[in-house]
Amino acid sequence: MKLIRSEFLKIRTTNVWWLFALGTVVLWGLSFLVNCVQAHYILHPEGVPDEQAATISAMGDPAALTAYMATSGQYFGLMFVLLLGILTVTNEFYHQTATTTFLATPHRTAVIVAKTAAAAIFGFLLWAVTTVLSVIGTVIFLNAENAEIALGDSSVIRSILLNLLAFALWGLIGVGFGVLIRSQIGATVTALILYLVGTLAVSIIVQLLSNWLDQDWIRELAWALPSNASGLLVSGVDLPDQPHYWVGGLVLLAWAAVTGVIGTLITRNRDIS
Amino acid sequence: MGSEITNGEIVVSGLTKHYKQVKAVDGLSFTVKPGRVTGFLGPNGAGKTTTLRMLLNLVRPTAGTATIGGRRYADLADPMAGVGAVLEASSAHKGRTGRNHLRVICAAAGLPASRADEVLALVGLTPAANRKFKGYSLGMRQRLGIATAMIGDPQVLILDEPANGLDPEGIRWMRDFLQSLAAQGRTILVSSHLLSEMELLADDVVIIAAGKLVAQGSVGDIVGNMGDGGLVRVRTPKPDELIAALDSATVARQDDGALVVTGTTAAVVGEAALRAGVALHELVTERPDLERVFLELTAGKEAIR
Repeated sequence: MKLIRSEFLKIRTTNVWWLFALGTVVLWGLSFLVNCVQAHYILHPEGVPDEQAATISAMGDPAALTAYMATSGQYFGLMFVLLLGILTVTNEFYHQTATTTFLATPHRTAVIVAKTAAAAIFGFLLWAVTTVLSVIGTVIFLNAENAEIALGDSSVIRSILLNLLAFALWGLIGVGFGVLIRSQIGATVTALILYLVGTLAVSIIVQLLSNWLDQDWIRELAWALPSNASGLLVSGVDLPDQPHYWVGGLVLLAWAAVTGVIGTLITRNRDIS
Repeated sequence: MGSEITNGEIVVSGLTKHYKQVKAVDGLSFTVKPGRVTGFLGPNGAGKTTTLRMLLNLVRPTAGTATIGGRRYADLADPMAGVGAVLEASSAHKGRTGRNHLRVICAAAGLPASRADEVLALVGLTPAANRKFKGYSLGMRQRLGIATAMIGDPQVLILDEPANGLDPEGIRWMRDFLQSLAAQGRTILVSSHLLSEMELLADDVVIIAAGKLVAQGSVGDIVGNMGDGGLVRVRTPKPDELIAALDSATVARQDDGALVVTGTTAAVVGEAALRAGVALHELVTERPDLERVFLELTAGKEAIR
């Protein structure tokens, strides 16, 4: 517990937390606007091609739409939690504080656990902020659209709570990533490229391969990406072309477990000099 | 002090660290006694820092053990109260204030945040407590490092090159500070390559070169044993006549006109000068210093391997 306090104090005593919080809120605003436009077309489907009609109609379900709107900003919020998780580790090497940290606590596994917990707490706070903003925005928007608001629906509440799980787990993924790539710039740039470009690239490649080989199952591989899995996790209802929501949870847990275990093992054996 | 370490003796035994090509530390054994300041000396690259890092569980030894008060560092229940260490001058986040840096460590050690202000006062950093670390001078950084090490009021203090970057006043402060801690019965181990400073500061020395122990003992013993008899420095307006009068001794002329006479005493030189009727402007016995002993002991041991 005292270690988690120490690690959270580290986050709180530099500028990073409010810069990331600010970034999250700004990008939440953009995401929410985009989602509003999309939701508007879902509510007023005109001239939709037949093959997408089933999906659009499923997304227009009040619970699906409310869950979709109320978890706005997840994509960029998770990115900042990932970056913060990375920084909690790489900062120690960049600023040469790893020595002090491991002198105070020779049990390195405990330090990694505390860092993960501190990043998860930060994730919780970002989740709380974006969720409050999203819920208020969703109520206003759906009222204006004269659409049904399904905030009390169990699947919507489930989505919002699972969104918290995603925010917490991404902190762990960030910590593991930071251990793997110790260089501050190397780790953050690689993570950003993988997160922003990688998600898109894999989706396109998987789509092309699937069409080329005429194998539908290849398309499903895209859900193995942690970013896609996070989106899947918070979908309110099952859409026709998606796996169940809990598949996203399992994928995310697997990523967090692998990065966490590898990160801890490396940290335990690493010479600090 | 409430420390679990009652006898802060450091025992290094057969400590070895091999990197891919280099034996950084090679079967090193020595002990460091409480109540004294021990200088840990060696040329750059001798393995001092690697040894200290193995002692503190930061680097994994290839072989051998290092214990503090009979335990490995990793086995100490409350390491901050047992051992304080200053290993890098610049070990704080650039954007964090000195006080917050210390509070982070207080939290990790389970100590109240007020302890941060106490150690800031101890090292004279209170006026800069709320300044960010990037604005600290090298001397202030060293002081913050010492404040960090003192958070748990440790029985053992380990410092790696603490005099680096300190001005003369800072070095004097450090010397007084460390000697007063040793006088309280604590163990102080200080690595350095600044030998003149070590001669003033240390009671004992451990000298290593190329990863191996070269000498260990009190400064007086080491200097006394290794000195090659007395050296006498003498200055006279008639050097040639004095050299003739000192026929049995080895005399070397220095660039500044002084003579250095080996293998004799100042009394013998003075009497010889009197007999020859030569005036003396200077007559000094030069004791061999740690620096000369150190250079003799480590000669031929490659610093860069």
